[in-house]
Order: sequence, then structure tokens, then C-alpha cells
Amino acid sequence: MSKLLKAKTKEEKQDWQAMFAQWAEEAPEGPLKRYYQAGMITPQTSLQDTPLLALDLETTGLDPKEDEIISLGVIPLSNKIIRCQGAQYWMAKPERSLNAESVTIHEITHSELAEAPPLEAILDQILAALTGQVIVVHCVAIERQFLLEASMKIYGFPLYFPVLDTMDIERHIIYKPWWKRFGRQPSLRLDACRQRYKLPRYKAHHALTDALSSAELLQAQIAHHMDPTADIANYWL
Amino acid sequence: MDVELTEILEALCQHAPFNEIADDTQLNDMVKEIEIQYVRAGEWVIAPSALNNTLFFIRSGAIEVLSKENKLIRRMNEGELFGYFSLLRGGKSSQSMRTIEDSLLYRIPARWFLKLYEENDTFSDFFQLAREVRLRVAMDSQSSDVSLMTCPVVSLLRRPPISTDASSNIRVAAQIMAEHRVSSLLITEFDELIGIVTDQDLRTRAVAKGLAYDTPIADIMTRHPIVMDSGDYAAEAVLKMMERNVHHIPVVKNGRPIGVVSTGDIIQKESHGSIYLISDIYKQTSIEGLKSISRKMTHTFTHLVVADANTQMIGNAMSHIGTAFVKRLLQLGEEKFGPPPIPYCFIALGSQAREEQTIKTDQDNALILSDKYNKKLHGEYFEALTDWVCNNLDKCGYDLCSGDIMASNPRWRQPLSVWKENFSEWIQKPKAEALLRLSIFFDLRGVYGDKTLALQLNQHIRREAQQHSGFLTFMARNANQRKPPLGFFRQFVLDGEGTQSRTFNLKERGIAPIIDIVRVHALACGSDKLNTLERIEDIEAAGLLPDGRAKDLALALEMIGMVRIRHQKEQIEAGEEPNNHVNPENLSSFEKRHLRDAFHIVSGQQEFIKFRYAGKRS
Repeated sequence: MSKLLKAKTKEEKQDWQAMFAQWAEEAPEGPLKRYYQAGMITPQTSLQDTPLLALDLETTGLDPKEDEIISLGVIPLSNKIIRCQGAQYWMAKPERSLNAESVTIHEITHSELAEAPPLEAILDQILAALTGQVIVVHCVAIERQFLLEASMKIYGFPLYFPVLDTMDIERHIIYKPWWKRFGRQPSLRLDACRQRYKLPRYKAHHALTDALSSAELLQAQIAHHMDPTADIANYWL
Repeated sequence: MDVELTEILEALCQHAPFNEIADDTQLNDMVKEIEIQYVRAGEWVIAPSALNNTLFFIRSGAIEVLSKENKLIRRMNEGELFGYFSLLRGGKSSQSMRTIEDSLLYRIPARWFLKLYEENDTFSDFFQLAREVRLRVAMDSQSSDVSLMTCPVVSLLRRPPISTDASSNIRVAAQIMAEHRVSSLLITEFDELIGIVTDQDLRTRAVAKGLAYDTPIADIMTRHPIVMDSGDYAAEAVLKMMERNVHHIPVVKNGRPIGVVSTGDIIQKESHGSIYLISDIYKQTSIEGLKSISRKMTHTFTHLVVADANTQMIGNAMSHIGTAFVKRLLQLGEEKFGPPPIPYCFIALGSQAREEQTIKTDQDNALILSDKYNKKLHGEYFEALTDWVCNNLDKCGYDLCSGDIMASNPRWRQPLSVWKENFSEWIQKPKAEALLRLSIFFDLRGVYGDKTLALQLNQHIRREAQQHSGFLTFMARNANQRKPPLGFFRQFVLDGEGTQSRTFNLKERGIAPIIDIVRVHALACGSDKLNTLERIEDIEAAGLLPDGRAKDLALALEMIGMVRIRHQKEQIEAGEEPNNHVNPENLSSFEKRHLRDAFHIVSGQQEFIKFRYAGKRS
């Protein structure tokens, strides 16, 4: 039978609502302050009542300090349903030019990007989409750091948001103590995780497809390993 | 920024009916309203008696459809749709749906389904509530009247018929023919066709004999010429021409002549095919010669399939070829063993009798002897003749019957009176198991010799069958022995009990059940037809089936038959022995869908005859 994801201890649980209230005070006037002022759900909200937004972004490289966001896709979901209707997609023109290697990965061409607005011009739209949402990503570090860098640069203040990380969830699900391990640990790559739930294979590296991809993975993880009535504080990071 | 959910759009577009919607922007708009749902195995998607407002697309996983009584109806997998029945009925669902694997489902709002259903004909065709309608559309779209084998004889007519009254004289008749530049003239009396005159008749029957020009044309005409009906296939006209050695055949519609087909018309249309094979058979004087022709049969068969002939036409052509072999062998046999001492009739049984033969069939035949038969005097002759014929048929590719139902078996070589007694016994005191083996005898056609013997026997069978309803109960029960599959699931054949298998016998479980059902009805209404489609016409005329059901049976037969013929053609091309074992992996989704519909019709009609011919219960 499927194993239920372990609940967090009291110390591990975070109160994003309280933190948002504090940042709402500190943030400079503008879109980011409005974002924090809109608030966050209480940690006692159940998973099934949590507004979720799957997010993925594509970048010019892997270093948040050096590289830039070039596209971003979001798609809303609940524990049961993914709603295509709320899907959004943006492209952003990087300040530095793309190298040939990343072009092939993203299938986004120079000319497409040349016509796109700079991230500065659309970050407020992105913030509006993120408002009040718990963000679903596969591998939290990338998305969080790139958006943090961007907001520091554009607003001079950090952008933080609560996250359900499908990679982290999967790591806990398949975790076995070393004395029970046999051979290599199973892969935590998005595609490999999806295959464990018999989800179809998608072409990776399109921000919206990858957002959809992690949204579906989260639904499968919830169906198999999570308690929809449990507090969101057990799951968010 | 324009949002494109390419993965979803592409997944939909790989499957019917979405692959047929040309308008990409419309589909893209629809995709934006799709909801996606992940459901673990064993959960209800549409619970029993729940309302439904969604069209479901299975992106991955599998679904099981259950009836109100919780009986398995079908299983579906990736790319299939469900929920539309209830959408077309205002949300009420008579079936329930449950996942049997972890599944990813796309939920398409009812609004979009109804919009596309309304606006797009190909889309709505796909969902037609009546499977029968869908099947019909499928069959219609397949036939493209290109070859002689599939075109109706009317399509060969080039002008209205040229005719004259029977009172005209030879000279007037010849003038009319010259004026219209035709080689034949129809002779009518009160607008009714009574004869035909050809160039050749004028030559041999009038001029060569020195008849006076004022001799009535009626004196030299061929009276009551063979005619074709406007609905007949051109190829049947050709076969008739071959058989009767005539070059002109009038075509009639509702009894009135509408034109004449000539060999010239036919040759213009097609220059090679089964027709020539048949005339070749009659030219052979040795077994070696016949054997060499039999090797060309597979070619003729594949040629017919490639030419888009339907199963009726192919069955007809293959049966005529089979019959030609029998006739020629009997002619040669009579040369070898001498003329028959008493009249006899060689009869074909089963598919050959129904004119539904395909490639690679066993021989099923028998012999009716005149009641003058005296074993001491004639036994040896007929034993030698039938042995020789059956063994040589075997050499020509018609394998000896494994059940020994052959004219060479003394049990099936009997005087008419014994045959009649046999049938009376089978019909009056039916035994289910025995009848199962004997059903083949109820499709019986005289192919050579004194055909009135076969006619008399068939009359006897019809009379007996109609008088003994208990017999029909047994036949109906036997016709329920072989159940068609429920449908397909992935690469498997799915059966009613939920069992899955790799292959199935299309003949045993699709074609034979239809033939059995139709035979029961045909016996019930006293039809003298043998061909299944012709029997269906009689059954329809007799009103034995609810409206439209007779036609459904014909469509189901054609659909299943077509898949079988294509399957056999592919086997031949791959250098394999053609058989009836079909592996669903080799079926297109088109074929799978329509086969399932056809199977559904067959099981429905099996149920129907069980009830229709149920015996009296005490």
C-alpha cells in the first residue's frame, strides 16, 4: 500500500501568513508591497482548500547571479483538478544575449526573445498571478532563487513565496534509510518521478509544459501519498 | 502572451475525432478550458446513476464501463473518450465508469462538446448515438465505385434501350439497329420485354437461312432472355455472360428494360480479373491444367481486394470460381467414367452454397441421386466419380473436409428420398449437438447435374422447418453458441467476463454467428435464398425484425467480412497461409471501433433470436 508522507514536526512547520504580514510592512511601495499585503492563507488551511499555482521558468543558465529568466509559465490547480483556463505564459528579453546552447534546450529563438519585453516590464503581472497562491514547483531552489534575484534587482526587496516542491515530496516518499537501500537511489528528475505514477511523457523545457508537468505530478502524489485534509503547514516549504 | 498548451493539444490531435477538426484555433480555445484530473486505479469517475457534465479524454491509464446491472460493457485506454452518451441525454448516465489503472483524464466541458457536435459533421458522426449509423457511414465512405467488381450494372449503360414491337419484321428491325448503330435490339410487347435479337441472330437465323424480309422479328428472337436487375453488380453480368455464352444482357428496373450491357461495355471497363480465370477453367482438359489455374487464385483474390471489391462481390467471385472447378471436374469425370447411369445433382454446402467463399476453404459437398438409384447397379460408378472429383478438388486447393462432409462419403451420397428422410429426422427430432454439426446442410445449392433434385430437397427442408417450430428453437440456441467479443482493450481481445486474449477467430466469432442468426430467420420465413445478404432482404420483407435491424446485420457482416478479407490479403502478401486468426495489434483504430460496433449488433441479435424463437415452456 502507498506510504503516507510524514507530517512535519512543530518546529519544521512555517507560518507563511505571519511572515507575509511582516514583509508587507517592510517592503517598499509598489507591486511587491501589494503582493505581501494581499496576504497568505493560515497554516491551518487544509491541503484541499489551498489555492495552488504550478510554476516553471526557463533561464539562460543555471547561476541565479549570472543568468536570467527568459520564460515563465503558470497553471492553477487544486488537489483534484488542474485548470487550463488560468494558464499563463510570459517571455522576457534577457539583458545579455543568449548563447547557442541554451537556445537549443528551450526551443525559444533569438527573434522570439528579441520581441519580448524585459522582465522588469512584466514582473508586476507575474506577481499578480502569484498573489495569495501556494506555488508548486519541481526543485524549489531554482525558481525561488531566480525570482528572488529578479525582485532584488527590480524592487530592491526580496520576493518570497510558500512552495510545494514535488521533488522534495518525492524524495521523502521514496526515502529509505541506508541499511534498507539497495543499489542506486531512484532518480528525482521530473520525468522519472512522473513515470513512477504512470504519467505520460512530455517534451521538457517549455515553461508552461513543465508547470503542467509538475502540477500533474503533485496530483498523483496527493492521490497516492498525501492527506488532502491535513494542514498545508505539513507540506509547504 | 498567447498561451499554448501544446502537449494537451497534440495529445488530442493524435486521436479521432479531434484529428479531423481542421480549425486549430477552435481546438486551442477548447484546450484552454480543459481541466485535468488524476484518478487512482479503482475509483469511480462517473459513479452509478451520477449526473455527468463532462466529456472525458483518457490521456493515460484505463477505464472500465459498467452497465446499470454492473456488467462489464467495455474497457478503454489512452486516446479514447467517454461521457458523451450522458451529455447527449442531458447529463443522465446509464453507464458508470471506473478507473482500472491510475489514469490522467482531460475533462472537456459539455459546452464545448455540444458546440463541436453542432458545428462539425465529422465530429458529430463520430459520436452518433446509434452505432449502426456510425457503421453505415463508415461503410459508405469506404466504397469507391471504381472497379467492375464494385460498380452496379447500371453504371455501364450508355444509352436508353433500343427496342421494337414484336410485330415488326426483320427488315424494320435491322433498319432500327443500323440507324442507332447497336448490335442488339430488344423486342417488346405492350412495353414488356419478351425477347432480344442480336447481329448474330440476324446473320445465322435470318440471312443464312434465307428468310423473307417480312418475317416477323419474333420468329428469330431469343425468347425470355436472361436479364439483370439494375441493382446487380456489373461483375454478375459478366459471370452470366460467361456461363450462358451470350454477349448482350438486358437490364431491367421494376420489370421494364432500361438498357443493354454488352461484352464490349465490360471489356472497356476492365480487362482482367476473375472472369478470365473462370473461362480458363472451362478450357482445361487435364488435372494439371486445373492445378496450374488454382495457383493463380490467390492473385485473383488479392486483385479483388485491392480493387476495393466488397465482401459480397469477393464471396460471389470466389464461389463462382469454386463452382467452375467443380463443374469442370465433373465434366472431365463423366468423360473418364462415362455418362451417369441415372440423374444426379452435385451439391455445394456452406459458404460455397451461400456464395460467400473466401480464399482457402475446405470443400463441403454432397451428392443427391435420383430415386432410381440402385446400389448394385450404380454404386460403383458414383463412388468412383465422387472419389475422383473430391481428390482432384483437393489438388486444386480445396482441401478435403476434415469432418468428411463430402460427396465421396457414402453417407452424404444418397437418393433424394433418403435425403428427405434425413432432413425430416433432423428437423422433427432435433438434437442440439447433432444440429451443430449439421447446420452446414441447411445451406445447400445444386451446382452440377440435375438441379431440380436440389430444388426439391430445398423445398422439402423449407416446408419441414416451417412446420416444426421446435426445430427453430434449437437452431436459435445453437446460433447463440459462439459469442462475439465485447471489443478490444489495448492489444487484447476483451470478452464479456472481462477475460483478455491475444488473438481471436474472426470467422468463428464474428461472421459465423451472423450467418447462423440469419439462417434461423430465413428458415422461419421460408426464404428460398441461400446468400446471407439475400436472406436478409427476405427477412426484412417478411417483417421478422424491427425496422432497420435487418440492415444492421448486413452492415455488421460486411464490416467484419472486410476486416477478414484485408487480413487474409495481408497474410498472402507476407507469404503466409491465410487464416481467420486476427491479432488486435494489427487492426487500425478505425477497424477496432467499427468491429466493436459490429460485435455489439451481433450480440444484440443473438439475444433477440433466443427470445424470438424460444420454445414453449411447460
